[in-house]
Amino acid sequence: MTAFAWLVLVPLLAAPVVYLIGRWGSQSNQPAAARQAGLAALIVAWFPFVLAAQDFTTNGPATLTVGAASLTLDGMGLLLAALALGLGTLVAIYSTEYMAADENQEKFYAMLTLLVGVMIGLGCATDLFNLWVWFEAMAISSYLLVAFYRNISTSLEAGVKYLVQSAVGSVFVLLGIALVLAKTGTLDLAEIRAAAELSPLFLAAGGLFFIGFGVKVALVPMHTWLPDAHSQAPSGISAMLSGVVIEAGLVALLRVLAGLGGLAISWGVVLMLFGALNMTVGNLMALRQKQVKRLLAYSSLSHVGYMLIGLGVSVYAGEAAGAQGGMFHMLNHGMMKGLAFLAAGALLYTLHLSRGSHDPLTVDDLAGASKRYPLVAFALSLAVLALGGLPPLAGFMSKWQIFVAGAQTHNVWIIVLVIYAGLNSVLSLAYYAPLVNVMYRKQPSEAVLAGRMMPTAMLVPVLILIAGVVVLGFWPSLLQWLTGPAGSALLAAFGG
Amino acid sequence: MTDTTLTILIVGLLALMGVGLYGLLAVRNLIKVIVALQILVKGALLALVAAGAASGQVNLGQSLAATVIVADTVVAVVGLALAVQVRRTVGTLDVQALARLKK
Repeated sequence: MTAFAWLVLVPLLAAPVVYLIGRWGSQSNQPAAARQAGLAALIVAWFPFVLAAQDFTTNGPATLTVGAASLTLDGMGLLLAALALGLGTLVAIYSTEYMAADENQEKFYAMLTLLVGVMIGLGCATDLFNLWVWFEAMAISSYLLVAFYRNISTSLEAGVKYLVQSAVGSVFVLLGIALVLAKTGTLDLAEIRAAAELSPLFLAAGGLFFIGFGVKVALVPMHTWLPDAHSQAPSGISAMLSGVVIEAGLVALLRVLAGLGGLAISWGVVLMLFGALNMTVGNLMALRQKQVKRLLAYSSLSHVGYMLIGLGVSVYAGEAAGAQGGMFHMLNHGMMKGLAFLAAGALLYTLHLSRGSHDPLTVDDLAGASKRYPLVAFALSLAVLALGGLPPLAGFMSKWQIFVAGAQTHNVWIIVLVIYAGLNSVLSLAYYAPLVNVMYRKQPSEAVLAGRMMPTAMLVPVLILIAGVVVLGFWPSLLQWLTGPAGSALLAAFGG
Repeated sequence: MTDTTLTILIVGLLALMGVGLYGLLAVRNLIKVIVALQILVKGALLALVAAGAASGQVNLGQSLAATVIVADTVVAVVGLALAVQVRRTVGTLDVQALARLKK
């Protein structure tokens, strides 16, 4: 067994074990068993990850074949695995405090471990149907996590909305698969690409894939589940959903489009158009939000837009820089949005949850938060400023890379789009800046004055992510080994 | 497979998907929504079987359909579990009443 096989297997096999250990723990009066088992499982998964990553940098992509199905760990798969495992581990540490008082923790940690494993597998799928199976498994494990607070009506509503929309999306993907299968007689993405031609059937299949996977990526107008799901889930899960799950959907969409790659150019245009739409709607809707987590959820929409522009430019013009920028932004967004949700969640926990209230955290609640919770207020400010693209933080670097790649195409329309994206980035400060303002310049609100102490376990992941956002801003080439191959893998798949 | 069989299959799958989509839009009871979703997925199953047959890969198409049945059942189970929880917490299965709860 190679390290790659273990990388996929460890979280998948650990999930039921975590559940059983947690079950045993809650019956024999050791409620900490579930979280320790969950955390241990994710930490163990780092060993095969490091070995697989070393193997990848020296020997290139590794392939694992079981029967007729095969998985390939290429640059994109490795990037997604790093993101899923990294954020998953931080969320597990964070949730040891955040979820400590909740029932059914064994389900939470088992599902979290499963979600990480499934996303690692999803990134490596090379076969259309295999991809669908991983995608569906990711959806199922995330349904349960979104509706985790099963006695709260708003979180049930979010869960129902998410389930129905995702399930319809996955039917569209199945129809697309059926069309491709009927035409080519194969499901292997590389073979499909060889057979692809400019025919109405492939265009229709591409459209179906855009709709189907687009639900999970939250392409406007298939995004309506996202603000509910991201704001109602437990905060650690909001970070996972926003930081990794939508990115995983995007990787799935790109892999499938690359399979229909005979039409690479037109897909690039569609990606860019969705990018522009996502930025506009995400930013405009975020401006109106009063609840912090809903605001962050809408800002995820606009960030998907930036990624789509970078990836679309590179698919359209065959330029590696755009793809690398897009992948870099994917990674940065995972960290920045992870930090934002974890910091907002820490405040939600101390101000509301730990006092037994499931009220949402509003912007007004945050007034004067810096006076009582200086570190978390700093973390949230840093995260939103990085998301807004303030140099020299991480978000600026990846946006800049995308904009430069766009400008280098010397295509008037793309340059207009890049300028528009830049303006959008400035517009986004209109809702990020008030958050910072309210935390630092207002007198403490009643909620802040009555808030509990900040638990240490929540501060550890927050500190790690702060370091990540700042260090990557000053030293963006640090993760070049991850984003470079991911960008090239994308272009190679599209035949660039 | 003859063209007639294929035509019947395609008409059948379009009918199933039409019923499913209409149901999703028209129905307000959460359990019925999940039933509509199931009908929609059954259409997609038929599409996979038809695609396998049309491309001469009968086994492949049917094994895909069998896999989809498994995954889709899990989705239905989760959906119905949510419906039970909605009924317990909110006291109704009406989807619109659930949506109105939001502040």
